[in-house]
Amino acid sequence: MSVLKANCPSCAAPIEFQKGSTIVLICPYCRSAVARTDRGLDDLGKVAEIMDSESPLKLGLKGQYKGQRFELTGRAQLRHEMGGVWDEWYATFSNGWVGWLAEAQGRFYLTFYQPLPQGAQVPSFEHLQLGQAVNGIPNQTPLMVTEKGVATSVAADGEIPYKLEPNERSNYADLSGKNNAFGTIDYSMNPPWVFVGNQVTLEEMGLGDARPVKREAQRVSAQGMGCPNCGGPLTLTAPDKAERVTCPYCNSLLDVNQGKLKWLKALKPPPSPPEFVLPIGAEGTFMGDARFKIIGAVVRSVTVDGIKYFWHEYLLYNPMIGFRWLVHSDNHWNFVEPVNPAEVESGQIYGTGATVTYKGKKFKIFQDAPAVVEFVQGEFYWRVEQGETVRAVDFIAPPLVLSQESTKNEVNWSVGVYQTNADIEKAFGVADLPKPWSIAPNQPFTGGFYIKAGFALLGLLFLSAIFTTLIGGFGNVPLNQTITLPPTTSATTPQTIFSQPFELKGNRNVRITANAPVSNSYAEFDVDLINEQNQEIESLFIPIEYYSGTDSDGSWTEGSQTQDATLSSLPAGKYTLRVEGTWQNFQQPISVNVKVEQNVARGVNFCCAFVVLAILPILALIRKFSFESRRWSESMFGSTSGGSDDD
Amino acid sequence: MFKTLFLIFGIGVILLYTMASLFGWEFANAGSRSRLGTPFFYGGGFRGGK
Repeated sequence: MSVLKANCPSCAAPIEFQKGSTIVLICPYCRSAVARTDRGLDDLGKVAEIMDSESPLKLGLKGQYKGQRFELTGRAQLRHEMGGVWDEWYATFSNGWVGWLAEAQGRFYLTFYQPLPQGAQVPSFEHLQLGQAVNGIPNQTPLMVTEKGVATSVAADGEIPYKLEPNERSNYADLSGKNNAFGTIDYSMNPPWVFVGNQVTLEEMGLGDARPVKREAQRVSAQGMGCPNCGGPLTLTAPDKAERVTCPYCNSLLDVNQGKLKWLKALKPPPSPPEFVLPIGAEGTFMGDARFKIIGAVVRSVTVDGIKYFWHEYLLYNPMIGFRWLVHSDNHWNFVEPVNPAEVESGQIYGTGATVTYKGKKFKIFQDAPAVVEFVQGEFYWRVEQGETVRAVDFIAPPLVLSQESTKNEVNWSVGVYQTNADIEKAFGVADLPKPWSIAPNQPFTGGFYIKAGFALLGLLFLSAIFTTLIGGFGNVPLNQTITLPPTTSATTPQTIFSQPFELKGNRNVRITANAPVSNSYAEFDVDLINEQNQEIESLFIPIEYYSGTDSDGSWTEGSQTQDATLSSLPAGKYTLRVEGTWQNFQQPISVNVKVEQNVARGVNFCCAFVVLAILPILALIRKFSFESRRWSESMFGSTSGGSDDD
Repeated sequence: MFKTLFLIFGIGVILLYTMASLFGWEFANAGSRSRLGTPFFYGGGFRGGK
């Protein structure tokens, strides 16, 4: 179809179908949805005005995707059955493509119509199961069902490439795959239409300069649209996305519908007053330099073995990025982001020992229990209710926690990153947050560095030992001589004798070994190493004693006929040994074998270095074992596995 | 800070061990019944001795 100028069948104002792919045009004057058909123009009825949004996109915005230029020519807003609306933008490409650019919670998904191969068909909406892989859709990566629901067309603007019926309800299923693959099955057609594409960033679409509409938070006045229960003024930070807001004055839960507030119920007081340590409206910096505002806070609980455990969750909002969560439990903090379910590889994900893999990292199951909303405060992008219950399963790989929350219609995965108190204090510019009193499921063990670095140093020590042994070679024996000391007059009168001269090399240790055939007696030798060049003397004392016998326990021995002493290296040169001995059987001569060795391999230096280096990593290992034991003692799936790779 | 100090200390220990091995320095005499054992610097090298 081509460009068409006509008059609106409802108000007669001039309208123009500028794009050939346009099926429906929203009359800018009377907001009628005007469809062009073979027979002319049809008035499909009026559509509501687009709700205010801080979307960075707008009609007429031009971008480029995969080398093809496009222009945003139409926009529809669809309502989720569980509350909340999302935008669908229609991108008309210069080569004739039409792309569907969905914008939800700050994320963008660009998809294109994908005809199914001959004979292929997708499962019916009723038979579609969450988590089910949908075969038959031509795509690079398999797609699985992550959500199924009913969408209602609530508003539109510009030119729409399909027959948009105001307030029409249609079934849809969202699919996702690895590498940000995304798809939708639109069941409003028969057979259903399939759209496939990817989650994209504004930069990938050449829209990196697009900025959200800046405006002040919408203030609902007390007179006009204040709390319907108490009249208190309310401020909405994300009025285009808010579905529920609580009144801080009367603790009412209010429904938000296109800026109108409706009283739903009085909130039941929580079991104990929630002490949110961060106030609604506080702003913090995460993900580099992105500023997020706290717009809501929830008290949730799980019941394990009859005991209720509470924690707080803060809903963070940034118009460009969307929603994130900050979880505060036992004074531990986690910054939580959504995860593409298709990126989570899982087999059996429930029960003891279950694991899942996300981005190559293995997560171990830690908790599996129904999580209940106990209390809410602030505004929310879904129809939050007290008592709302989901099945929450946590898997950990410190410092990350991967959480699955499932209902009958939806499975959501999110990943939380452990934050220290200092991180949160810095992010929000606050001080003295209460200190944690336990080990968090995904709290990283901070001593891991000392284990890794300590063992790396020990490895280096081994390498050094091998290297120096190879370089130094094995020992040599400059002297091996047996000398005989003649009899003396008493056991305290020494006899002295000199060895033959011998050469010592430099930079080698020296071991002197004396062997004397004493038996049930002793001999003591003062040995002097005399440097013949400068007459410097290095003295050693080598006592020898050896006793043996038999008693009621059998034979015994004590001492040894051989003893040694070791010296550090001496200056290279010619040396002589002066051996001065006294011995018990002084009336008899005594033969002494004296051996001088160099480059003796001794372990004492190595052992000393090893012990010094091993102290800290061993202490860190002991601490890690205790840390992991305490961590897993809090788990429903108690495991003392200390092998988590947490640094 | 403590991590850096630990690394510096550890590398220092390894360097000292390597130097001792290359230059024949004995940290202490392990000979039994020896009166040696107190390391001291003597002359041109680190020397354990009587």
